[in-house]
Amino acid sequence: MSFTITPVPGQERYERIAREGEAAVRRWRKPPIAPYLFILPAIALLVFWIYRPLIETFQLSFYHWNLLPTAPKQPAGLSNYTALFHDRELGKAVINTILYIAAFLVCSVILPLVIALMSRRVSGRARTIYQALVFVPFLVTPVATSAVWRWLFDPYDGVIVVVLRKGFGIDIGSVFRSDHGALIAIIIIVGWQMLGFGVLVMTAGMAGISPDYAEAASVDGASNSTILRRITVPLLSPTILFLALMTILLSAQWTYPMIDVLTQGGPDNATTNIYYLLYEIAFNNFDAGMAGAAGTVFFLVFGAIAVLLVKLSDKLAFYDN
Amino acid sequence: MSRIEIVGLTQQFKDHRAVDNIDLTIEDGDFVVLLGPSGCGKTTLLRMIAGLLDPTSGQILIDGQDVTHLPAKKRNLAMVFQSYALYPHLSVEKNLAFPLNVLKVSKEEKRERVLGAARALGLESLLHRKPRELSGGQRQRVAVGRALVREPSAYLMDEPLSNLDAKLRTNTRQELSELHDRLSATFVYVTHDQVEAMTMATKIVILNGGRIEQIGTPEQVYDAPASIFVAGFVGSPPMNLLEGSLSTRDGHVQATALGSTSRLWPGTCPEHKVTIGFRAEHLRLEEAETGAVRIDGVIHQIENLGGEQVAYIKVGDHTVVAKCGREVTLERGERFTAGVRAANVHLFDQATGRRMEWVEEPAPALADAL
Ligand SMILES: Nc1ncnc2c1ncn2[C@@H]1O[C@H](COP(=O)(O)OP(=O)(O)O)[C@@H](O)[C@H]1O
Ligand SMILES: [Mg+2]
Repeated sequence: MSFTITPVPGQERYERIAREGEAAVRRWRKPPIAPYLFILPAIALLVFWIYRPLIETFQLSFYHWNLLPTAPKQPAGLSNYTALFHDRELGKAVINTILYIAAFLVCSVILPLVIALMSRRVSGRARTIYQALVFVPFLVTPVATSAVWRWLFDPYDGVIVVVLRKGFGIDIGSVFRSDHGALIAIIIIVGWQMLGFGVLVMTAGMAGISPDYAEAASVDGASNSTILRRITVPLLSPTILFLALMTILLSAQWTYPMIDVLTQGGPDNATTNIYYLLYEIAFNNFDAGMAGAAGTVFFLVFGAIAVLLVKLSDKLAFYDN
Repeated sequence: MSRIEIVGLTQQFKDHRAVDNIDLTIEDGDFVVLLGPSGCGKTTLLRMIAGLLDPTSGQILIDGQDVTHLPAKKRNLAMVFQSYALYPHLSVEKNLAFPLNVLKVSKEEKRERVLGAARALGLESLLHRKPRELSGGQRQRVAVGRALVREPSAYLMDEPLSNLDAKLRTNTRQELSELHDRLSATFVYVTHDQVEAMTMATKIVILNGGRIEQIGTPEQVYDAPASIFVAGFVGSPPMNLLEGSLSTRDGHVQATALGSTSRLWPGTCPEHKVTIGFRAEHLRLEEAETGAVRIDGVIHQIENLGGEQVAYIKVGDHTVVAKCGREVTLERGERFTAGVRAANVHLFDQATGRRMEWVEEPAPALADAL
């Protein structure tokens, strides 16, 4: 009598399958072409409309050229860059751009956070209506918005002007003709539009947070303000950071149409921003070289900020599962 | 540690009454399991106890104090959520410390209690991980740990084991039972798993459609189910339930079901429609001739559970389930005869679905009713 060891069933066959599997892996190494064909149109458009102009802008920044197709391009070395940094208007445009960004951070991050938190207390249909009302301004085109606000701010019979004058005895006069008035008016108009976007994104971000966390915290004895500070806001931080990133990168663009329609950067450059300045250099002064230099510099600065914020948001990101 | 009293508690969602007029007293140190099928209102009831949901009507008292409208944060309860609800942005250590931070416990004590809970649950090596870096079982431990760091009036748990695999579930069941013994605290535990209920509970509350079907120890619930629902819900395989009737003949109460009549016990009783119940393991081959209820059918299917086997017997249009040891040789298609002793026969009133108990001297009111 002796023991026999029970063999592992079918082990030999497993080995054979594994060996065949290896071969299969080798055969698969050749990448299929179909997926690349699907994204080809998008890539082609991106290259043609974004990357090609970007490279051309960079090239142009080393030439003098007045945009006339018949005029020759003169090599300029770095002179466009030195001219740009000595431009008196650049300083004003940069300061204004920073002011705009700071103000819009309030309109598209802080206020939406507050509004989204408050709208949680409204329930059912009323909440939908309330959120829709906040969002609608975002859907109105900037030029139409500008036209309506110009009418509201009309120095003789604009509703805002009349109400302030008759109701509160404050005469704001012709808003778009005063330095601070014009800047504040543009901030209000663009902020009013961006608020809806911010609330929408913030509400979506909040909806993605399981209510279990807040409930667990409240059973653990946390007050509403503790839950907000220690749970809700930290869990919302990816959303908050995303909105901040969008605001910083895009607020100069969002402001551009309002400046163009309402003030043309005036009075005396009080409302200009970097993109409006860029437009003026290129299409008022017909200085393609300097505009190219400005475009290159703005691209690098915003690019650096974007990389920084994306890195930060990767660090803050958590995975809720 | 605390006693929880629930009086006439009701939760009405728009057109659905999730919890319907429930009265329940949970004694200090009880391990009460709320057991019922999914959708029967267990979570709703637990959330009302926790203070996360305002009852439509009724009262909740903890140690005699009316807490019905007290917010969750003031009730001093600890809860383990089915999803565990571990704060995803905080490490295990900070998750465990969260309730203590809220209580403003001193730094040394906080450290001590967090480490104590971590040691008790084997989490010491995981303190710096984030919840997403943990396995299901580890998350479940952290969730329990977060309840343990405090000294709450009671521990509430909502299906805490439902996301674990079978083996881990068995181990964790034992650990939770040991925890209950060690803390001698009040536990209210929600589950749809009868094994969890049978193994851990000191008291099982069986819910169905927002109402209590039965409150009892695991033995009471298994040995004397108070209704057809309980009989069919507790036990695996569930109790055999056959529709039939009671009548009297020759001074004996007799039951008719599946076309055959059997003698139960001496006595008299008027004609009555009943559901006759008996457990699969009480259907014995050796009682084939002597049993109060007798089965004569054909084996339709056999399940081998390893330690025992379950046979499905076709008797006419009905299927009866029998459970017996592996030493008995059963063959599909063969004839199967077996019987159940009178002591193992359960009778339920068909009209109300409630259990009928045979008492030697029937109360006049009951005799009239039948
Ligand atoms: N907030 C709610 N609104 C409406 N109906 C609900 C709500 N919460 C639960 N219900 C309903 O109440 C019943 C009981 O739910 P629940 O207590 O979660 O059941 P269980 O935990 O026993 O599975 C279910 O039918 C469910 O659909
Ligand atoms: Mg539930």
